[in-house]
Amino acid sequence: MEQARKKVAFPRYAEYNCGLRYLMEKGLDVQCILPPKLTKRTMELGAQNSPDFVCTPFKTLLGNQIEALEAGADTLVMTYGLCKLGYFGELEKRILRDMGYQFDFVDLSDYNTGKKKDMLRALRAINPKVKPARFFLALAEAVRMTEYVDEITGDYYRNRAFVRDKKAYDGIYRHFLTAMYAAESRHDIEEGYHKAKLELAGAPMDRPENPLRVGIVGEFYTAMDEFSNLEVEKKLTDLGVEVHRWMTVTNRMLRYPGDNNLQVQIKDYVSYSMGCNTTANSWAALDYVKRGFDGVIHIKSANCTPETDAMTVLNNISSDSQVPFLYLTFDVQTSDVGLQTRLEAFYDMLAMRKKVLR
Amino acid sequence: MEKAFLGIDIGSISTKGVILDENNGILASEYIWTEGDPIQAVKKLLGLLEAGFDKSRYTIVGTGTTGSARKLIGTMVGATVVKNEITAHAVGTTTFYPDVRTILEIGGQDSKIILVENGVANDYAMNTLCAAGTGAFLSSQAKRLGIEVEEIGDYALSAKHPVSIAARCTVFAESDLVHKIQTGHAKEDIIAGVCNAVVANYLNNVGKGKRIASPVVFQGGVSKNKGVVAAFEKALHCPVTVDANGHLMGAIGVAILARGSKERREFDFSVENTDFHVRDASCGRCSNNCEIICVYRGDELIDSWGNRCERGSIRTKA
Repeated sequence: MEQARKKVAFPRYAEYNCGLRYLMEKGLDVQCILPPKLTKRTMELGAQNSPDFVCTPFKTLLGNQIEALEAGADTLVMTYGLCKLGYFGELEKRILRDMGYQFDFVDLSDYNTGKKKDMLRALRAINPKVKPARFFLALAEAVRMTEYVDEITGDYYRNRAFVRDKKAYDGIYRHFLTAMYAAESRHDIEEGYHKAKLELAGAPMDRPENPLRVGIVGEFYTAMDEFSNLEVEKKLTDLGVEVHRWMTVTNRMLRYPGDNNLQVQIKDYVSYSMGCNTTANSWAALDYVKRGFDGVIHIKSANCTPETDAMTVLNNISSDSQVPFLYLTFDVQTSDVGLQTRLEAFYDMLAMRKKVLR
Repeated sequence: MEKAFLGIDIGSISTKGVILDENNGILASEYIWTEGDPIQAVKKLLGLLEAGFDKSRYTIVGTGTTGSARKLIGTMVGATVVKNEITAHAVGTTTFYPDVRTILEIGGQDSKIILVENGVANDYAMNTLCAAGTGAFLSSQAKRLGIEVEEIGDYALSAKHPVSIAARCTVFAESDLVHKIQTGHAKEDIIAGVCNAVVANYLNNVGKGKRIASPVVFQGGVSKNKGVVAAFEKALHCPVTVDANGHLMGAIGVAILARGSKERREFDFSVENTDFHVRDASCGRCSNNCEIICVYRGDELIDSWGNRCERGSIRTKA
């Protein structure tokens, strides 16, 4: 008798779950359970069952894994990272088991050796009958999809401030994401991308000659996930800012030039690597400053150690260049009144400076 | 008729209002406690302002609101400008002190620092998670010591040997303070210690990593406390200016912003006698359960906010 397909879930991570879903279903031949979007409930579930002083993404991820299990997942996959993230999987597994859930847990940090043999072992842990050729084909397509998601998201936030019909513009972006989440083939991915690219470019826009430009840097999860950062990017575009964010999966994982290559470009500020994304973020912040951005916003979650280290470097870049930096820390709170106050004040400050400096 | 501009700053603890003429002259000003009810406080404030203001000579053509209840009160009074308190303070202060470099501000629940260069703000910080070193801390400690908040300054200045009090956190500061009381230190020495702790906390948290350059202007409710001013001067090694209207600077700033804005709408004092109330609704269309704030004038819904997506938007009857 043939065994039923596994129901595999990976917690929500910005808008990257479409690529992960594609990879799981097309490459690993398992059923992907897409956990619900992050909401206050996710946060409450996560915070209730997490250690108090763990970094905030842990709570969000754990809450979303609980929601995935509720939705019927029988296998959870967790990634590894260069910081405490490496221990997330083990801790999550224990907490969820203690809560009484039964599931298989594939912690990719168990296989994190960089060897091909171990990569195959990880894949076999998800599906013992995996066909490597098929997997790598799907991987290439999922990577393509991820690059498209980052490209379209970048376009969207760069121009959203200036379009005449924001509602229609938001709709284009939403439809694009829906198409990616529903894609069944290379053709679907390409079609969804080209349609969105054309529609975004064709939206009527009143772009001022010299708009305020703000660059966003920060922690790998919170800076990219709009629920976790209370829609910072959208709020900025509502104020009329052209928003750029270098930190994406495409830039950090797929096309990353390597710490050493970035290190030489920031050697005036950093003499050795501080690990995780600090080199990348310091480089990105300096790059924004050199390209004449009006301000930089640094985003991190509470208790994030690597990004706390990066702040000292950013402080020096800010005081040398006289470009204002705003530091935002996000925790489990979901009220955005304080954030709105800070963003408005930052915007006013940049706008007044621009008037005087010109 | 001459033009006048109204600025209202509704903070967590106090509500401030000013009416400015076209040359930044103050026609009327008031400072009252919010007492947990911003709508009532503003009604009372408007009553007081109206009484002290020559309505036959001036008309108010622009209204600005700032402070943590700016949006609610802005809807209520029909404001032409709704601005955050950081911008309002920066604008107000740089208008009266064009060469200011550092603005220190300590209010009831929050504190901020604004660094100014060439007359424009170029950096700011605001306290995030902690209320240590704000007016609320000072007034609760004054109550514990059995004195009025207004008397703190005089007590602090008469101290000969200020005690040292842990400044990192209100909880520790408070237990440290209780300990010092119980070991029999003089009241004025303890109060001076509290003032020093407020300053140390401010400089270690909000002012961390900021280059504080002179001239320094200090404002917000706590700037009326001479003990804290003295502690700042000692810690910063430079004179600290406190404007006589420093506690009104947010309201003044937003009145100036209302004057600078193109929008004009005549202000009507009759809102004093109109019923406004707020209801909290839970959206319930998804598990995020956005809290939606609905503002009513009488029985009529005039505005709502708080929803994160279209599904939660409540349409007002046009």
